Amino acid sequence: MEKDPKIISMTKDGIPSMRKTKKGLGVEEFSEQNKELKDIIHQMEDKLQGVLNQIRVEHTEERTKFQREMQKIIHSFEKRITQRFQELDSRKESSPQERRARMLKQLGNVFRKIINVPDFEFIRRSEEVDEFGLDPSFEEQCFPIFRFFHDQYWRVETQGVNNIPDTGRALIVANHSGTIPFDGAMIKVAVFLSHPSQREVRFLVEDFVYHFPFLGLAISRFGGVRACQENAERLLLNDNLVTVFPEGVKGLGKLYRNRYRVQRFGRGGVIRLALKTQTPIIPAAVIGAEEIYPLLYRSQYLARPLGIPYVPITPFFPWFGPLGLFPLPSKWSIHFDKPITFDQYGPEAAKDPLLVSRLNEELRTIIQEMIKDRLTKRLSVWFG
Amino acid sequence: MAPDSRNPMPTRTLALTGIHGFPGQKLLLWADQILAQRESKLVEHFDGIVAIDLHPPQTKLTKTRFFKLDLTETNVDQKLAEIFEREKVSALLHLAFQHNPTKHSGFAHELHSIGTMYLLNACGKQKIKKIVVDSTTHCYGAFPNNPNFLSEEHPLRGGVQSSYIRDRIDVENQMKKYQQHHPECILTVLRPCSILGPNIHNFATRYLSRKICLTPLGYDPLIQLVHEEDILRAFQMVLEKDAPGIFNIVGQGVLPLLTLLHLTGRIVIPLPNTVLYPMVHAMWQGNVAVVPPRYLEFLRYLWVADGIKAKEDLGFVPKYSTRETALAFVGSQRLKEVHLAAA
Repeated sequence: MEKDPKIISMTKDGIPSMRKTKKGLGVEEFSEQNKELKDIIHQMEDKLQGVLNQIRVEHTEERTKFQREMQKIIHSFEKRITQRFQELDSRKESSPQERRARMLKQLGNVFRKIINVPDFEFIRRSEEVDEFGLDPSFEEQCFPIFRFFHDQYWRVETQGVNNIPDTGRALIVANHSGTIPFDGAMIKVAVFLSHPSQREVRFLVEDFVYHFPFLGLAISRFGGVRACQENAERLLLNDNLVTVFPEGVKGLGKLYRNRYRVQRFGRGGVIRLALKTQTPIIPAAVIGAEEIYPLLYRSQYLARPLGIPYVPITPFFPWFGPLGLFPLPSKWSIHFDKPITFDQYGPEAAKDPLLVSRLNEELRTIIQEMIKDRLTKRLSVWFG
Repeated sequence: MAPDSRNPMPTRTLALTGIHGFPGQKLLLWADQILAQRESKLVEHFDGIVAIDLHPPQTKLTKTRFFKLDLTETNVDQKLAEIFEREKVSALLHLAFQHNPTKHSGFAHELHSIGTMYLLNACGKQKIKKIVVDSTTHCYGAFPNNPNFLSEEHPLRGGVQSSYIRDRIDVENQMKKYQQHHPECILTVLRPCSILGPNIHNFATRYLSRKICLTPLGYDPLIQLVHEEDILRAFQMVLEKDAPGIFNIVGQGVLPLLTLLHLTGRIVIPLPNTVLYPMVHAMWQGNVAVVPPRYLEFLRYLWVADGIKAKEDLGFVPKYSTRETALAFVGSQRLKEVHLAAA
């Protein structure tokens, strides 16, 4: 959750405090609007303070929930205040020096966001985790870097996010691509930022991640859950939003020439899960993730000793060294379609293999159609 | 303690094995007191107690008859069958297990696998109506592909990690086979996770009572603990009412390992695996480590069990959460340091 250092920030105890803004508003010039804004800000501060004083949070789960609520409130206030300030700012005439200064400041913001990497100290411990290992404060620390990728680097556009229900469970099914699965994180960030109720998304990860020392830990503290039927059922029965990528490693390891061809959707586990728990499926298409690592060849040389399924050969990777592992800045867009419900089949239908297989293939076709449709509308890989 | 007019010969007795170790000692004391006071549900089921172990009970007991038997000697099942018949044993509480991996793996195998086999032979002959066995959630094994909450139906895979666990799994398999051959017998298996408490000594308590704890670098699995009082309560519940089946007995909630170690005030030294495993191997050979090196998987991967079946079918809800168990344990350690608590 990004803390805009200009307006309102949360101190460690969760008490919001306001910092002075340096936007060049002369008090004499805009005294009226300024006063109105100041009044609004003071009112909001008082309200927040009042809310904080009223609630006694002792139980750790409630505290987490409460912190999330606070962050959501502050984020929305922040947005509104920044908008207002920007309006006021744009009314002023800008000389070339001021325009340059503003551009430099924006550049500075970008750099600050890149440097603001969460601290992965060796003995990083999580104070509170939920039953699947999600640590909200770690998520918060990781957010700035994912936010950078979402806003500036990949410029993710989200459409159809209103298809995701405000409450209750849903299963988001998407195509999987890009050798390293950033699309899970981008869907999570996109839903959090664009959805009106800022829902939290959990995503399912393959087993082999948990073999590695830091990777499994980081992913599970960020919200990833090991992919198996029991875990997914438990998450859904607790009314969570779960993202699944049924293509799995097949989707990740697609060669560039096979891009955007949706591979087989596993053995129908997703459909069985949806039928058994009576969850609506929201098909999602992620465009742009294929081009972050254009995979030319999958090499088996040195793959087994390193413990990875293959070594990717991209136009940049082994030649430019570790720098070649940095993803390319294609333009992403994520599209959510209307939810598919399985109300007409009861939970017992999960045991019918022919039905499951047919529904699986139908789902795959729906997502393939969505992708084809968006690709024809896309003009450029890098600029949309 | 001979039968007389005030103490008539008991007609339905409860047999206990393993009364020298943790749940056995406390349960024997509890059962004896309860039966002497004639106030609880236990009196409806039993009149007296038979205790079988190598070491006699350390307190004076009114309703108990002690028999010194070594479960590993040959043909002990004949003697057991004789005792069961003479004392009219109607239920068996089998707690004769070691709760720690040990270097004497031969003896451990004899006690767990063969001892249980002899006991079950005797039970089968006498048609014992009820058997309660103490197992452990270590049997599930710690693997990266475990689901986050292991239910009782999950296969027991821990045998690849340790021969001690292989023996405990063998005990469970014998119980399953016994249930198939004797479907009218009420067989309960309780699987507690790591038990912490002021009076219990196992490898978890030894690990947490040292100042410095070694952990694998880059792994922070979720750990669950249960308090010893909750275990005792679970056994008491299962003795008082009939509940056939397998139940996970676990505390509420989970904690990451590093948080747990920080909570209990240990100095944590994370070491990479290539350094840690040989080091623990050397320490185990020198009797300094608490577990053999293959047990380190339990500090790397997830092995959290789900206690929901115990809650729904048995009505058992643990009073202590994992965090509270750890804090209670640390509190009692501090009291011991200043000699304010009994060992």
